Amino acid sequence: MKNSRTTILFFAAILALIFSFLLNISLGSVSIYPDEILEGLLIGDWIKTSHAQIILNYRLPKALVAMLAGIGLSLSGLQMQTFFRNPLAGPFVLGISSGAGLGVALLMLAGSAFGIAALGSGLSAWAIVGAGTIGAGLVMILVSLVAWRVQDSMTLLIVGLMFGSAVSAVVSVLSYFSGADALKLFTVWSMGSLGGLAWPQVLVLSSVVLIGIFPIIFSVKSFNAMLLGERYAKSMGVNPVYLRWMMILSTGLLAGSITSFCGPIAFIGIAVPHLSRIIWKTADHRILFPGTALLGAILLLLCDVIGQLPGSAQTLPINAVTSLVGAPIVIGLVLKRNFSKEF
Amino acid sequence: MKKATIIAKNLTLGYSNRKPKKAVLENLSFQLFENELTCLLGPNGVGKSTLIKAILGQLKSWEGELILNGRDVQSFSNSELSKALSVVLSEPVLPGNMTVGQLVALGRIPHTGWTGRLDAHDRDLVENALYLTKIEYLKDERLSEISDGQRQKAMIARALAQDGRVMVLDEPTAHLDLVNRYQIMHLLRDIAKKQRKSILVVTHDLEIALETADRLLLLGTDLPLISGLPEDLVVTGQLDRILPGDEFLFNIEKGKIEQKKTMSKLIFEGNPTVSFWVKKAIEKAGIRELEHPVFISEGDFTLFYLDQEFHRIGELVDFIFDQKSS
Repeated sequence: MKNSRTTILFFAAILALIFSFLLNISLGSVSIYPDEILEGLLIGDWIKTSHAQIILNYRLPKALVAMLAGIGLSLSGLQMQTFFRNPLAGPFVLGISSGAGLGVALLMLAGSAFGIAALGSGLSAWAIVGAGTIGAGLVMILVSLVAWRVQDSMTLLIVGLMFGSAVSAVVSVLSYFSGADALKLFTVWSMGSLGGLAWPQVLVLSSVVLIGIFPIIFSVKSFNAMLLGERYAKSMGVNPVYLRWMMILSTGLLAGSITSFCGPIAFIGIAVPHLSRIIWKTADHRILFPGTALLGAILLLLCDVIGQLPGSAQTLPINAVTSLVGAPIVIGLVLKRNFSKEF
Repeated sequence: MKKATIIAKNLTLGYSNRKPKKAVLENLSFQLFENELTCLLGPNGVGKSTLIKAILGQLKSWEGELILNGRDVQSFSNSELSKALSVVLSEPVLPGNMTVGQLVALGRIPHTGWTGRLDAHDRDLVENALYLTKIEYLKDERLSEISDGQRQKAMIARALAQDGRVMVLDEPTAHLDLVNRYQIMHLLRDIAKKQRKSILVVTHDLEIALETADRLLLLGTDLPLISGLPEDLVVTGQLDRILPGDEFLFNIEKGKIEQKKTMSKLIFEGNPTVSFWVKKAIEKAGIRELEHPVFISEGDFTLFYLDQEFHRIGELVDFIFDQKSS
């Protein structure tokens, strides 16, 4: 009976994903009906060539990026919450996204700040992903060193915030000394956007996200054991040190690559794992990981839809929308339920 | 011939990162046997947790040997150890969203493949663990919605499902009420007998340990470890050695720890059982001697003292107390 509930929920989530995907690509400055899109994509029969242009080169990559970012960020959040046994953990809250930002800032700004020949405008997608991942990974290592000693939610949160502000300070210093061109490049990046990525970059992002998901698949069982705490996990044959490195690798790749391409996106990482715990009513990571990935994709697609609606011609920065949607969810969780009971 | 599961020979344990470098436990020798429930008792800070850490392979011994199933504990890999030994720790368990059935199934983690999928054999063992701990009816309840005693039984079921020969439990009955304490210790005893396990329980409950354990390990400060049949330790008076100072002693007749009495001169006439409790109440009030005897009439429970009648022990105690202080 319980298994059928889980299956039905997964089925519903997949339908919701398809719905939000279609909704996402049909709305924008020009509304294009889903039936036309489907016809165009499947048969290649477009009513207007401009529609084909909009869908193929702009909306489709953007929707894919939204899905990838939603999946990646929420999966990072789930891993961190279980590993640190802390309901407030998440890539944005703990400064992982800021770390990725620092990596990108160093790549874009440091050249001009230190007077070395600028790395050039033709920054390759791989270089950006590399810088972001390394930055995110480094902060992740620092945070996990701290979290190793303290298990208190408050302390970890404060440490994460401090890492975040320290990193922003470094970025400010870099911006102050860097040249106008580099600064503009960086400012545009930091406003964050799901759009604006060309197909080759989308391809890079999808492969990195795919690689980042691999460590999760191989440690699902260990994450279940970690729910009882590190000592119990160890007594069940799990190696917490190995798991920690797997998690650092995975969250570094996922949060790092997504932040480097899309800029900082708040709240998805922390809110979606809680939503999936509430919906699937389980602590089993074999259900939570796919559930969280589906919900993350749906939520970010819908957030992007909300960002496009007002005025239709203009779009809100995605970070603002996710904060507006995510903050009430997190506040609601804190007020309504005992976090540790939901865990 | 009884089979030993754990053998410690001249074990010395300590933490090398602390300064000054001082051993916590020295020259420890004991054995745990199959089919037996062993209780480890001792005051706080005597090194019980240190010994547990060593048994779990988390602490290397400075000297001596610690042998599990015929091999040095340190030679076990993490996953080998998890198949030979399971634990119930004293730390609280967080995930409230997990059901009891899921928790017990986690015990199969060392035996399953990388996805953690349970086969028929695994499911049988999980069901059996729930059956033995008598919590089948809780299978679909969430951990946040059951009582502390039920949760502790679920943790024991999880350890049981892990199916090692040795189970180590660190204060499984702390924070529990009296009934649950007895239930859990008797449960562990049954499991040791029926499932041929060797169970080590760290506890502070001397009275329950005496009643349920096959063997006691007593750790006292600055004393060598004493090991033996509980009854042997009682008769030879060795139990007193773990009681702090000279204030307390173990009363052999009643099987309880009591404060040492300084020659109490209380005289009673009447039913000895009632006089036992009356005496207890008077002594508790700090009164060691009475000039006159107390008469106990059983029919409608009346106490007579100095021509006064009392229908409650409390009234008598108050009266004597007022008399003494005036």
